[in-house]
Amino acid sequence: MSAEKQIWVWADYRNYFQSRVTLQILARATELARKNDAVVCAVVFGDRVDEYVTEYIAHGAQKVYVTDDPFLKTYNVESYAFLLSALVRRFQPETLLVGATRFGQEIAPRVARQLNTGLTADCIDLDMDDKDRLVQIAPSFGGNLVAKIITPKARPQMATIRPGTFQELPHDDDATGEVISVALPDNMPAPRVRCLKSELQPVHARKIETADIVITGGRGMGSKGKFKKLFDLAELLNAEVGATRPVVYANWVSHDSLVGQAGKHIRPKVLFSFGISGAIQHTAALADARFIVAVNKNPNATMMKLADVALVADANQVCTGIIRAVKERIRD
Amino acid sequence: MDFNPCMKHQLIRKTVQEFAESEIRPLAAEMDKAPGFPDDLMEKMKPLHYFGLQVPVHLGGAGLDSISYAIVIEEISRVSAALGLCITVHNSVGIYPILRFGTREQQQQFVPPMAAGERIGAFCLTEANAGSDAGGVETVARKTDHGFVINGTKIFVTNGGICGTILVFAVSDTDPGQSSVFIVEKHTPGFSVGEIEDLCGMRANPVASLFFEDCAIPADHCLGTVGQGLKIGLTALDTGRIGIAAQALGIAQAAFEESVSYAKARQQFKQPISRFQTIQNYLADMAVQIDASRLLLHRAASLKDKGRPFSAQAAMAKLHCSTTARTVTDLAVQIHGGYGYSKEYDVERYFRDAKVTEIYEGTSEIQRMVIARDILTRPT
Amino acid sequence: MLHIIVCIKQVPMVSELPWDAKTGTLKRETAQGMMDPSSRRALEAALQIKADPASGPVRITVVSMGPPMAKEVLYEARALGADQGVLLTDSCMAGADTCMTAMILGAFIRNHCPDAGLILCGSMSSDSETAQVGPQLAEELDIPAIGYARRLELGCRCIRVARHVDDFMELMEMDLPGLVTIDHAAESDRYAPRYVTLGGVEAAFNTGGIQVMDGRALGLEKEFNALKASPTKIMEVYSPLTQKEGRVLTGAVKKMVDTLFDDYGKIISSAMGKDLKTHDHEEDL
Repeated sequence: MSAEKQIWVWADYRNYFQSRVTLQILARATELARKNDAVVCAVVFGDRVDEYVTEYIAHGAQKVYVTDDPFLKTYNVESYAFLLSALVRRFQPETLLVGATRFGQEIAPRVARQLNTGLTADCIDLDMDDKDRLVQIAPSFGGNLVAKIITPKARPQMATIRPGTFQELPHDDDATGEVISVALPDNMPAPRVRCLKSELQPVHARKIETADIVITGGRGMGSKGKFKKLFDLAELLNAEVGATRPVVYANWVSHDSLVGQAGKHIRPKVLFSFGISGAIQHTAALADARFIVAVNKNPNATMMKLADVALVADANQVCTGIIRAVKERIRD
Repeated sequence: MDFNPCMKHQLIRKTVQEFAESEIRPLAAEMDKAPGFPDDLMEKMKPLHYFGLQVPVHLGGAGLDSISYAIVIEEISRVSAALGLCITVHNSVGIYPILRFGTREQQQQFVPPMAAGERIGAFCLTEANAGSDAGGVETVARKTDHGFVINGTKIFVTNGGICGTILVFAVSDTDPGQSSVFIVEKHTPGFSVGEIEDLCGMRANPVASLFFEDCAIPADHCLGTVGQGLKIGLTALDTGRIGIAAQALGIAQAAFEESVSYAKARQQFKQPISRFQTIQNYLADMAVQIDASRLLLHRAASLKDKGRPFSAQAAMAKLHCSTTARTVTDLAVQIHGGYGYSKEYDVERYFRDAKVTEIYEGTSEIQRMVIARDILTRPT
Repeated sequence: MLHIIVCIKQVPMVSELPWDAKTGTLKRETAQGMMDPSSRRALEAALQIKADPASGPVRITVVSMGPPMAKEVLYEARALGADQGVLLTDSCMAGADTCMTAMILGAFIRNHCPDAGLILCGSMSSDSETAQVGPQLAEELDIPAIGYARRLELGCRCIRVARHVDDFMELMEMDLPGLVTIDHAAESDRYAPRYVTLGGVEAAFNTGGIQVMDGRALGLEKEFNALKASPTKIMEVYSPLTQKEGRVLTGAVKKMVDTLFDDYGKIISSAMGKDLKTHDHEEDL
């Protein structure tokens, strides 16, 4: 084992401006590293990635391992996993963290298998216990509960981290870090999967993750038709609409609108929650909502207990009532 | 004796639930407003074998056993009793008599289009002066050189407005004591459908009167043989009763589930009403009645599958299930209070739908008669 | 002939398992099982390949690791059109994490389906939502893999896959044998699962059963224990609820809504960036 303890963050820079998860993990890793004097390292693969290396140093990386090679120009899960495993075997970090983007969720399990170590998926928090073990905090048992998981023996301790979980550090131009270039190994296997096309899709200007007002609806809205009313209200309030899993599975709205463990994490100033009982996999994604208005016929529903204001009534009727009230009260 | 459902029956139940919850439930309250079923829905049900539940595979059906059949009807009726009625009548009294009594040729000719859902079945016995008493039937079939000519009017025919293949119970014009069942197809000249009945419940089902005016049909449209009418009729009713019992059970189950969730959610005196002993008593009574109903029903279905006499057991199941449907929906409305009397809540519909299960396919009084006859003719 | 293996998981039917706060356990026994929706999409993809005459003859084997009751989802898969169902079940498999699950599934495919051409999995199960078994199974079998497929196109001994990953629309290609996971969240209806036919259920139970294999049949070591072999350990499980002392409104809808805007209108109007008349405002006037 190397003399110093290292926490590695695999750098997912593709679509850099939309996906800040690597920076978010670096921030948390920096906090964790203080507890046991570990070194926070970013690991960057690609072709001409200097500008990203600089970025990661400015956001907290003390060391950056870089493999810069035209062979790595396109994201390829097999090559990247092989390379990452090889680097881990060579430098032996204590911890390896990967953002739970779709690519991250493809590469991390393969690396974990190659290294015969454990992997906790989609963590919503990380901690370090008094024995310097990484505590991986993740939704569990169908999202109903939260589990604290450790990796007692195998190394590295691996986890994927849900985007939006941590706050990135401010950009620090004065920060310095050590850059360690690692050449592409000679034994890189030929890629078996060929990428014929890869196009960045235009992203919607406004996203539910960043909206100031979010309106979420559950089965209590009654039907697909009645659920549409939430969009009318959203229009009035300049809000975005989200939904629970039963609603998405019933095809009332697309999977894009799913708020919860497997969907979007939101942090609105005001959240209106209509007809949602509040399964933990849904409520886990609402932790950062500042002011919650919940409507449910059942005052004992979990969602009602999380609310600042809980209206005991039929969700659909209250939605109609709020639409009317906003129209009456709005001053243009 | 195993009282747990086997894996097949469990999977049949889940299969129907999945379809019913996602495709029927969203339409059920709307369907109650006007007679008829949405074409889209019927089209979706066709390839899934809902119209050929017990039809053998070689005739295009699912080949289900009778317990599976009862489960399918219960689960559809749990969401829409009116659609459950359509499906059970089509399958039991519409198709089953042809499978049981029809010649090979009749089966080949009439069953596949019915099993595919292209032709909906109906069975008509009831007339203005005949219902429980089949002896009062006035619809006559006159023998001609080419076949038969039928004249008469049938009332309260379930599926009447949408039927394609109709089984008609009629008596011989020369011998009123001789009855037969005839197969009449929708396009036969002289056949027409009257106005759709304005009923208390089951409002989506287009129940109607059917008119037969010099309806000429070929000789091979007489089901089985001439004179078998009463036997066919009674057999059809025995089978039909399993379906109606299942339908009543589905209504009761739905009302029960709504009541449980309402009782847990509704607050009075600062607590859920489910904390009150009176409500608990209601729920307990409902659960016992429903469980007993299901056991009686599945016993009758299992006897039928084993080829053993099941007439009295089907009557017991039908009597108990329909009584349960009425009492359970009554309690469900009571638990819901004023809301239960409003169309905004489904229990109002269940309450209206339940009553007729005590009337059609043999009234409760007739069921008791069948049961009593069985008791009194047992050797002592 | 193309032999497709579809890996299927049985998951609890409800997303909201009752949680007993007193004992700190889940009332798992109250939940009924169902086929994981994303596994079902994978099976749908296999069925569509089989139905396409251009694919040539296709045989579909569905396999699941789980308790004996998981047989039900295999029957369901047979009812939907799979040719064969295999259940891998043994007390030594209980508590398997994703690595061990991949290892067990891998042992079955390697030892019992040497002709497997295409392996399909759901990208992410609805209960544990790790998305790990697919990629790890590919590692286990040392075959190429493509995740999050939205459309499959079978070529001559190869497959093309359209997928949507992190805002990128991609078209990938690999030679077979290979593994593909089907996107659990795809917008398109292409692999939206069909309904089970009633005749299908009847036929599934009438034509041969589900093959059941234990650890020994799979060739697992005698002392194998999935729970012990798992590199991670759960230290603590808890309910993450933080309850607020919120205000509860009851009564007529109109009155409740008015109270909401009268007392909290400022919070709402500042979030929406528009001015709303509230009680406070009227007093100001």
